Amino acid sequence: MITVTNLIKRYDQNEILRGISLAVRKGEVHSIIGPSGGGKSTFLRCINGLEPFQGGEIRVGNQVLTPATGPRRDARLLEAVRRQVGFVFQQFNLFPHLTVLENVTEAPMQVLKLKRGEAADRAGRLLARVGLETKREAYPRDLSGGQQQRVAIARALVMEPDAILFDEPTSALDPVMAGEILSLIEDLARDGQTMIVVTHSMGFARNVASQVHVFADGYDVESGPPSKVFGDPQHPTTRSFLAQTAKD
Amino acid sequence: MRQWLRSAMTGCILAGLVLPCTASADALAEIRKTGRMLWGGDQEGGGPYVFPAENDPSQVTGFEVDFAKRIAEYLKVKAVFTQGQWDKMPDMLRTGKIHAIINGYELTRERAEIMDASIPYYVYALQLMGSTGNSRIDSWASLRKGGGAARVKIGVLNGSAAEAYARTYCGERCEVIAYDGNTDTMREVETGKLDATIEDTPIASFYAPRFGGLRRIEKPVQRGYYVIYVGKGETALLEALNEAIILMVRNGDLERIYRKYGIWDEQQAELTDIAEKGRFYGYARATEARIEKNRMPAEESVTADTRKRGWRIVKDYSGILIQSAGMTVVLSCLSFPLAILVGLTIAIGRLYGRQWLRLALTAYVEFLRGTPVMLQLYFIFFFLPEIGVKVPAFWTAILGLAINYSAYESEIYRAGLQAVPKGQMEAALSLGMSRVLALRRIIVPQAVRIVIPPVVNDFIALFKDTSVCSVVTIVELTKRFSVLSMSTQATVELMGMTAVLYLTMSYPMSIASRRIEKRLGLEAQA
Repeated sequence: MITVTNLIKRYDQNEILRGISLAVRKGEVHSIIGPSGGGKSTFLRCINGLEPFQGGEIRVGNQVLTPATGPRRDARLLEAVRRQVGFVFQQFNLFPHLTVLENVTEAPMQVLKLKRGEAADRAGRLLARVGLETKREAYPRDLSGGQQQRVAIARALVMEPDAILFDEPTSALDPVMAGEILSLIEDLARDGQTMIVVTHSMGFARNVASQVHVFADGYDVESGPPSKVFGDPQHPTTRSFLAQTAKD
Repeated sequence: MRQWLRSAMTGCILAGLVLPCTASADALAEIRKTGRMLWGGDQEGGGPYVFPAENDPSQVTGFEVDFAKRIAEYLKVKAVFTQGQWDKMPDMLRTGKIHAIINGYELTRERAEIMDASIPYYVYALQLMGSTGNSRIDSWASLRKGGGAARVKIGVLNGSAAEAYARTYCGERCEVIAYDGNTDTMREVETGKLDATIEDTPIASFYAPRFGGLRRIEKPVQRGYYVIYVGKGETALLEALNEAIILMVRNGDLERIYRKYGIWDEQQAELTDIAEKGRFYGYARATEARIEKNRMPAEESVTADTRKRGWRIVKDYSGILIQSAGMTVVLSCLSFPLAILVGLTIAIGRLYGRQWLRLALTAYVEFLRGTPVMLQLYFIFFFLPEIGVKVPAFWTAILGLAINYSAYESEIYRAGLQAVPKGQMEAALSLGMSRVLALRRIIVPQAVRIVIPPVVNDFIALFKDTSVCSVVTIVELTKRFSVLSMSTQATVELMGMTAVLYLTMSYPMSIASRRIEKRLGLEAQA
């Protein structure tokens, strides 16, 4: 489904990603954890084509992104990749000038060219699923952070992507709301939704993920099933990171 | 001796006019074909030349209006007055917007070099005028007396023969102040701000009844000639005009017209002299019969007697002012949407376009912001025709304003687009939208809401900036105000009415914008 090979990303002289390889198969949930500045978010953004990169390659289905991929020249390719891979941002990034319903129906109508009624049906089902069917006509500013993130998830789901990338989806939320969002993501996992989730929630990584990756200094220092990574960490960075988070 | 000199001079005028004409153009043919002679004048110049009629200010009257009409009758066509700024007449002639200038244009060597001049149709001179209550100025010589702080202040019309004469005669010893309006200086003398003014004799004669506080000092000096100017090389038209003038001199048409406006004086005898010489140069062949046949009946005289005041002004001129305000509205409402559209496109290009496009658009914005809108209008109206692009005055105004304001709008929109958080574009792209779609559906709608206040502000500014369109012959509210105030001298009343009109138009816009802002602005806050 998603195969990343030896991904290298630099900002000027700074190496953010120093050769990351990773493969996500259909139905898998990968969780990326690790200290801040380890390149987790950048990695997700590269997969979705929001960031260009300097080495390696990313395969999404039949599409291949390389360092030569340009946002202008390869616009069609990038659009195809993004149609297969949804993205949920830390800051939600809902469209403030549109209602909740319009936020969700915008892309199906404009990108998939669905009729208004059809898009509204799909959106209605998803809003019900995230528990916001009563907020259809509200504007994002009238919602709490947790509600906004739920709309953002519905907005990603409505495109029926093969995989969804979550970039620290709960970092901007208080613990109660964060819990709500994580259980929603867990729900999706149970339904077989392929996902990569960058998170600081060790509980989520431990209980939901099929694979856990520890990113530090641009390397995927340790990866494997959660039982292995949490139960028997090999790499010193993993150990110190887990010790650090255990204290919190 | 003097007689001889004068005759020799007029002979020279005629000879000089007739001989060098070799190039042939087709203005006369065009006039005959269309049946219309377009003649240029500026009604802001005031009486008695071309000015708004008392009973119907939307029509022009004046001795030059009658003169042009009569000339056209001789050419068997219709005279069509074309409004233009006085000092821009040569440009209008050069670019073919008019066939002839008939607007108190003096015969000067500089002008004769770029245009062809007819024989004179009026002999003017410079009249010194002072206040009845100020005995300091009693002769031309007294102008030279003052010095230092006691220097005499003389008002003259900017760029006129009077100004040139004042500067050479006493420029060292007195202060020469140039005004834009013909009658402004006369009022200033009356109120005591100026010590004296020098006016062309027709103005002095025509407005004498209206300015009771002024007196003429000594005899007029520095005789000069008003002539019709046509395009360089328009020999056929020039000959037809000269012949018509000679006919009008000989059959008394000119005298009748000038008497109607109270500006016939002994100096006009020279016209007869010129007409006789004209026959010698081959003009007006076998015209005796035509003279009788075409004799024009005398008309009721037109004078500038009492000055209208107060409510009378409001009653008589509010109609025409409101009509001109309509032009202001039309100009702004047509040009501003265009400016917004172009401005938004430029802003998008500068933010999201390729490098070369960004550079080109930046240059466009800097150039248009850095040069006056008047110059841009001038360029479209007077320069483009020279390379074959003829844009009518109305569309020049719309286009010029739109282009100029597009530069400002683009900067506002650039700021608005940049104020939309980066995450919005990323969110749109991550849903599979193309950049164009994301801009159209997500980014621009948000930017538009952000920039409502500055955009409305600019619209109100544009609204008032439409007044510069008078350089391309458009008469809108401000120009109409100048025109009327120059011919009626009721400046205070007209100023008040004009201000009220501008306010009644712009204030509702401010209110409307606040409403829109409230409605859309609320939604924009995330």
